[in-house]
Amino acid sequence: MTMKLIHVAFRNISRNKRRSLLSGIAIAVASMSIVFLFAMVQGMRDDMAQNLATYYTGEVRIRNAQYEEYERYNPIHLTVDWQRIDQALAQRSDVTAYVPRITFPSAFYVNGGNHPAVGIGADFSLEAGYSDFASSVKEGRIPEAGKNEMLIGSVLARDLKLDIGDKVTIISSTAARGNNAMTLEIVGLAAFPVASLNSQFFWAPLDRVQHFLRMDNEVLEVLVMVEDDERKAAAAIKTDLESVLGSTLDIQAFNDISMMYSFIEIAQFIYYFIGVFFLLLGSTVIINTTMMVIYERMREIGTLAALGMHGKELTRLFFLEGVFISAIGAAVGVLIGAGITVYLGKFGLNFTDALSGIDMEISSVLYPRFNIWTTLIVYVYSVVISAAATLIPSRKASRIEPVEALRYV
Amino acid sequence: MYRSNNMKIRMMAIVVVALVSIATVGAMTAEDIVRQMDALETFETSYAEGEIVTTDRFGVKTSTFRSWSRGAYDSLIEFTSVAERGQKVLRTEGELYLFYPDAEELIRLQGAALRQSMLGSDISYEDMTGEKDTLSQYEVKLLGNERISGRDCFVLEFAAKTRTVAYPMQKVWVDTGTYMVWKGEFSTKAGRLLKEMAVLETMTVDNRTLPKITKISDKMKRDSATEMRLTHLDIDVDLDPVIFTLQNLTW
Repeated sequence: MTMKLIHVAFRNISRNKRRSLLSGIAIAVASMSIVFLFAMVQGMRDDMAQNLATYYTGEVRIRNAQYEEYERYNPIHLTVDWQRIDQALAQRSDVTAYVPRITFPSAFYVNGGNHPAVGIGADFSLEAGYSDFASSVKEGRIPEAGKNEMLIGSVLARDLKLDIGDKVTIISSTAARGNNAMTLEIVGLAAFPVASLNSQFFWAPLDRVQHFLRMDNEVLEVLVMVEDDERKAAAAIKTDLESVLGSTLDIQAFNDISMMYSFIEIAQFIYYFIGVFFLLLGSTVIINTTMMVIYERMREIGTLAALGMHGKELTRLFFLEGVFISAIGAAVGVLIGAGITVYLGKFGLNFTDALSGIDMEISSVLYPRFNIWTTLIVYVYSVVISAAATLIPSRKASRIEPVEALRYV
Repeated sequence: MYRSNNMKIRMMAIVVVALVSIATVGAMTAEDIVRQMDALETFETSYAEGEIVTTDRFGVKTSTFRSWSRGAYDSLIEFTSVAERGQKVLRTEGELYLFYPDAEELIRLQGAALRQSMLGSDISYEDMTGEKDTLSQYEVKLLGNERISGRDCFVLEFAAKTRTVAYPMQKVWVDTGTYMVWKGEFSTKAGRLLKEMAVLETMTVDNRTLPKITKISDKMKRDSATEMRLTHLDIDVDLDPVIFTLQNLTW
């Protein structure tokens, strides 16, 4: 009997191809959008995690315990002891790489005026083992330790009409809570994936920045890459370092530091609900179509009922029609969505203009992240929701009285 | 009898001197007081050494300096404390230049940049080196007299004539005897207090009473105050005019 119902349901779908196509397209568009949306959010999340880890906080960041409290006052004197942290981290097997950094606000003195810029003092020999830093150098070279040199964001250089070989005097507050200025020669132009890194930042050798900011061997932060879960690693490193340095350090995982990353995590959760909403919207087309089919085939329903077909079987028949349309529509939608995601995952979506001037740790070119499991879940999710939606009109078919149905014109 | 007459004469003399003094003081206009005030702070030449002690939420920071000045417009400050050693601030002919040993060029400050904090203190570059020609910049008004630190003071109000000054309104308490400013309140045009200044200790140099320790607090910063302490001051010393040149700054 079930096989017959399946056969009849398939035949019925093809009886009004246009209507079935319309329902299928609605489900397909919804499924495709959800696959792409989820891939996009996952892509943004992964991109942000990558940028935070590489350029801003590491997977685990070590800073002076008081820094956060006074952050708005630029407490550049609240440093950490790099040598002791270096010794402690070198012993840990869960730490894959770490770098000392000094990120400081400054001003470029160019043509008699001050232009804001953010400096990063970095040990470039260690940076090479931490990330693919060299690939960010668009032109020129990386500054050398011990020399008054800088690598400047290409957009910042363009905005200030600076080029390789030019000398720039930078002004900043020092760790001694005074002021200082130093002239650096531009030896390289950088093109980082994050727009703000290109338009606001410059990089200089750590030892020169330490001298400039009167920091001796101290640094502002240590960025750490770890093997396992960042939060667990942060807690373990904290316990370890506190036994050596006391509770003078603030050690946090990147996903606890960045508010924007937390927003994206929340957004990803919200998008799951938005996905359900999308599918429900798509399902209204199926509900509508099934209702119309039921009214259109009222006499047929009456005949089938008069011939002994039970109400439950009638419900199952219309439900199966809905399920088939949903399954085919969702399959097509998910395949198209996956295709678009894979394509854009390779070539990227360029948001350079949209993100220009926005200070976010997200790359200008975003790559949606294709995930087979997410795609399968979206497919099942699409079929279940849209099939469940067809139950509403299908149940109506079972409640139709054969006598009344046969009188229906 | 002789003694009684002598006493009378002495008493009369005191009264006459007092009356003359009151008449003289009473005859002084606000502009006269300001001229005396500026004259007290202006030296043909001077050399000073001192320290700037800043107390803020992060603790106490001390910077030492030596300075040279000539007339009302030229001054040079050189910082001698370890963190700022060799940094210099030159004000000459209405321009202000900063020299940093690690910088290959001089930094010229102008406009709003002059109001930047010097070494993170409550004192701006303009406060430290500002021109001492009050009457060309402000309309002055005598509000009355008040006692400050046990001294009788004129209370003067300055209203800026131009927009180029750091403080559109000032209220200062000027000693009626020495013309030294004991206290100052520096505000916006709308009356919002920007800075406060008070002299905590004085010193006498060349028969002039001058501030030795001055406390300045920037009201835009919370829990912050700076004491400017002069440890040494020579007036009318022989100075090489080259001191106030840009060439000298970079040597």
